[in-house]
Amino acid sequence: MKLNIDGLLVCFPYDYIYPEQYSYMLELKRTLDAKGHGVLEMPSGTGKTISLLSLIVAYQKAYPLEVTKLIYCSRTVPEIEKVVEELKKLMDYYTKQTEAKNDFLALALSSRKNLCIHPEVSSLRFGKEVDGKCHSLTASYIRAQHHCNPSQPVCQFYEEFDAVGRQVLIPPGIYNLNDLKDFGRRKGWCPYFLARSSILHANIVVYSYNYLLDPKIADLVSKELAKKSVVVFDEAHNIDNVCIDSMSVNITRRTLDRCQTNVETLQNTISRIKETDAAKLQEEYRRLVEGLTEANVARETDMYLSNPVLPDEILQEAVPGSIRTAEHFVGFMKRFLEYLKARLRIHHVVQESTPQFLKDIYEKVCIDRKPLRFCAERLRSLLRTLEIADIADFSAITLISHFATLVSTYNKGFTIIIEPFEDRTPTIANPVLHFSCMDPSIAIKPVFGRFQSVIITSGTLSPLDIYPRILDFRPVTVASFTMTLARTCLCPLIVGRGNDQVAMTSKFETREDFAVIRNYGNLLLEMSAIVPDGIVAFFTSYIYMENIVASWYEQGILENIQRNKLIFIETQDAAETSMALMLNKNKISANGVRNIILIKCKRLFISFSFQPPVHHYGRAVIVFGVPYVYTQSRILKARLEYLRDQFQIRENDFLTFDAMRHAAQCVGRAIRGKTDYGLMIFADKRYARADKRGKLPRWIQEHLTDGSLNLTIDETVQLGKHFLRQMAQPFRQEDQLGLSLLTLEQLQSEDMLQKIAQIAQA
Amino acid sequence: MDDQGCPRCKTTKYRNPSLKLMVNVCGHTLCESCVEMLFVRGSGNCVQCNTPLRKSHFRVQLFEDPAIDKEVEIRKKVLKIYNKRELDFSTLKEYNDYLEQVEDIVFNLTNNIDVERTKQIMEQYQRDNKDIIQRNKAKLTREQEELEELLLQEQQNSEQKRLETLQEEQRQLQTKRKNKQALLDELESSRLPAAVLLAQHKDRAVQLETQIETQKQNVKPANIFSTGIMMGQTVSFASVSRVEEVLYVYQPLCIDAYGPPVPELDQLGRLGYLNHVCTASPQDQAGGYTSGLACHRAIQDAFSGLFPS
Repeated sequence: MKLNIDGLLVCFPYDYIYPEQYSYMLELKRTLDAKGHGVLEMPSGTGKTISLLSLIVAYQKAYPLEVTKLIYCSRTVPEIEKVVEELKKLMDYYTKQTEAKNDFLALALSSRKNLCIHPEVSSLRFGKEVDGKCHSLTASYIRAQHHCNPSQPVCQFYEEFDAVGRQVLIPPGIYNLNDLKDFGRRKGWCPYFLARSSILHANIVVYSYNYLLDPKIADLVSKELAKKSVVVFDEAHNIDNVCIDSMSVNITRRTLDRCQTNVETLQNTISRIKETDAAKLQEEYRRLVEGLTEANVARETDMYLSNPVLPDEILQEAVPGSIRTAEHFVGFMKRFLEYLKARLRIHHVVQESTPQFLKDIYEKVCIDRKPLRFCAERLRSLLRTLEIADIADFSAITLISHFATLVSTYNKGFTIIIEPFEDRTPTIANPVLHFSCMDPSIAIKPVFGRFQSVIITSGTLSPLDIYPRILDFRPVTVASFTMTLARTCLCPLIVGRGNDQVAMTSKFETREDFAVIRNYGNLLLEMSAIVPDGIVAFFTSYIYMENIVASWYEQGILENIQRNKLIFIETQDAAETSMALMLNKNKISANGVRNIILIKCKRLFISFSFQPPVHHYGRAVIVFGVPYVYTQSRILKARLEYLRDQFQIRENDFLTFDAMRHAAQCVGRAIRGKTDYGLMIFADKRYARADKRGKLPRWIQEHLTDGSLNLTIDETVQLGKHFLRQMAQPFRQEDQLGLSLLTLEQLQSEDMLQKIAQIAQA
Repeated sequence: MDDQGCPRCKTTKYRNPSLKLMVNVCGHTLCESCVEMLFVRGSGNCVQCNTPLRKSHFRVQLFEDPAIDKEVEIRKKVLKIYNKRELDFSTLKEYNDYLEQVEDIVFNLTNNIDVERTKQIMEQYQRDNKDIIQRNKAKLTREQEELEELLLQEQQNSEQKRLETLQEEQRQLQTKRKNKQALLDELESSRLPAAVLLAQHKDRAVQLETQIETQKQNVKPANIFSTGIMMGQTVSFASVSRVEEVLYVYQPLCIDAYGPPVPELDQLGRLGYLNHVCTASPQDQAGGYTSGLACHRAIQDAFSGLFPS
């Protein structure tokens, strides 16, 4: 289908289009025209990805000078693959329509672990090991050694790429990770470095958030991307947490111990080299004296670490004299390490700001701020000079040096919290130093400053105004799109009371209440009897889930539920869970039974990429309790305080916002598309309050009537039964046509365009 | 940490949690009780390296590695002498060289390399730079000044915030009390039925609540000092670098009046110019007036421009 979006010809690879997709594209076009940033919310399952891709690709084709590149950031590898898949469909459609040869280059980029084709290296299990091994085969000095001594092993794929592939442009096309690997195998080139060098001239790059947000990686990979790029953050509902994580450092006693061995290794290597090859150290020293920064040539493969965002004028400056020679630097690291050890030996919690920390460190061990700032850079230089092949071992000291650089660079937005033990186990000493970033805008600032337009989009971004505030940017478009439906296929219900009229809530004071637990159990039991397919039940935390499931077992509720459905309980180990689920799936399909209850914890959901692959897995979603974060955490408290002072966001607002976005993510799983249908049950009376309800996405709020606010279990069962019976009637595509699914002619009609104009709401 | 122990009596932290390890200038450890025992007389030799030590120099060991304790001790001593600041150097490179030199001295002293020679160098330096050392004693480095400033800022901020919340709370309490009092007064004096008054009161209370809520919501961003300086801005108090320029030298003014030379002020009386000028009265003289001034000016006026140019 060819669409006319505000004067732009857009090829859309499907015959039908949802009205909200059209509206979404309109808004997106406006954002691109204005060269500004945008925040767009559209329900899951309404084809966000394809709308984004088709519009931006069309825009790129129409105005190749205005938008040179699309950088599409997603969260996980499967999501990246899915995006590339959609892109392939789109490009196929283009070639079919224009019958011209495709001149677009799009590729996915992931870590070495996912892209390596070296037989030995790729067999390693952990990403860190792969990186370390790869480095030991491709570092510049290793290759130099290989020249004089051919028995030194190198990676032939990289050699080949460096010799031939660097000059040759990769032929246009769409490459997902496997395509890249195949291409690499055919040519004998390393796919990882091929992809990294190709992103500079690719039209579309698909990779994960970290390549842009984590300053350590971004500096390496995304430094040279053109300014006229469009950056899309998909599934961006917790982008602030990603930003914060990328700038935070946690240091435990074990890190320090490992760092200690690192320092000793360094010291030994230095003394050895001093005997055999003093000239090398001398050379490094000379370079540092002259203040030469690293030559960019060797940078690509020698990625020990690059600088966390340091101001440029400091980078240009020479390394301070006190850490110029190798021995002095090692001594400096030792002092810093011992200082940290001493700090970790406390018996009470300490919270301090970075200036306080710097002052203390000067008083205790006479370390100035300036050498601390250069710590990361200096360590990098030293490791290079010492030609230490396996960098994986040096992760501890690298982390410490990062910490040193960060702590001395930023005065604001960070806090240092030293906890001698975990709150849950006050008797076991397990000291941790949290260097916690409280301001997500620090990490994302370069992105907003650098690129022409940045689009933040997800299924659940409500309330929309909070994202620009916490990320500190000015969007030109802020819009939320509802789902146009031919039938009300979602049914959100708020259950506030049990049949015995006892309030159901996971409020801290009453969560262990016997009646509450029993009522929760009854709710699940009743629902398992009426819902024909799978149910997904979410709890607020693992501990709570374990408690409740245990007491359900004692009360015999679990047994009763099992009469209706299989039960599957998620564990804390994500790998174990997905494995168990896979096995279970086979079992289910073998028996032809589709009845399963998944019981999961919402907090781990973020890292857990399970999405019900088939509609009927999540016919009903029950959220037990309001998923607040653990509010006693000191890091959280510090962050809340910071938010209040800097952004005027009140603690309670942020907590509710955070809880509700998680709840929305949970119930969002119920609907995978417009033909799907599902019950969304919020089992806590607090959901009925206006401040909570108002923070749900608009497309859920719309269907939340006053009549479904404070139900008992009985009423819920009644409403649910009614809903499910209605939805189970046959539903064909023709029913949707003209209402929630449009052909080109329908789209062009006058009143439909009017209707579409109402969909977007800022 | 638990396996740290005294090398002499072999007690460890694990067996005696209250064990206190001490360290002296040589960088070897002893536990507190051993120190008490061995150094009863105030001085003695180190058990491990036989260096003569004083009891008063024993410090509580802060770090796990006693070598670090020793180094820090030495470093503090060295830094007292080598206290030049970045501003004392003309280029950054010189400063860096100086820093490295300091580092070398500390390194040598800690690792017992060339101790005698290093000490000599230090003494030499101390003699050469006496006045600089004295001058810099009280001065902080620029970075430390910045840090101090930040800390001060933080303190002020938190203090201000505390006061604000306190005031806010007090104000709320007061309004509530006033509201209650108003209700009592009304009940006492008004003729309306009590139910109506109560309802009114309730309305008012709700209004008050919402008002407080909204007030809470628009907290004023505090980012400007009363002086108008932004709080984020760092004001450096480092002295301005000296500008070398040629000083201004006064040159007497030389005016060509195109006329005969005017006699000097003090010569007017001698030359007889003042004979026919009215003399200054005592009142005029009090203000500094002399008759010569007016006369001199009049002569200047008369003489100028007499010759053709």
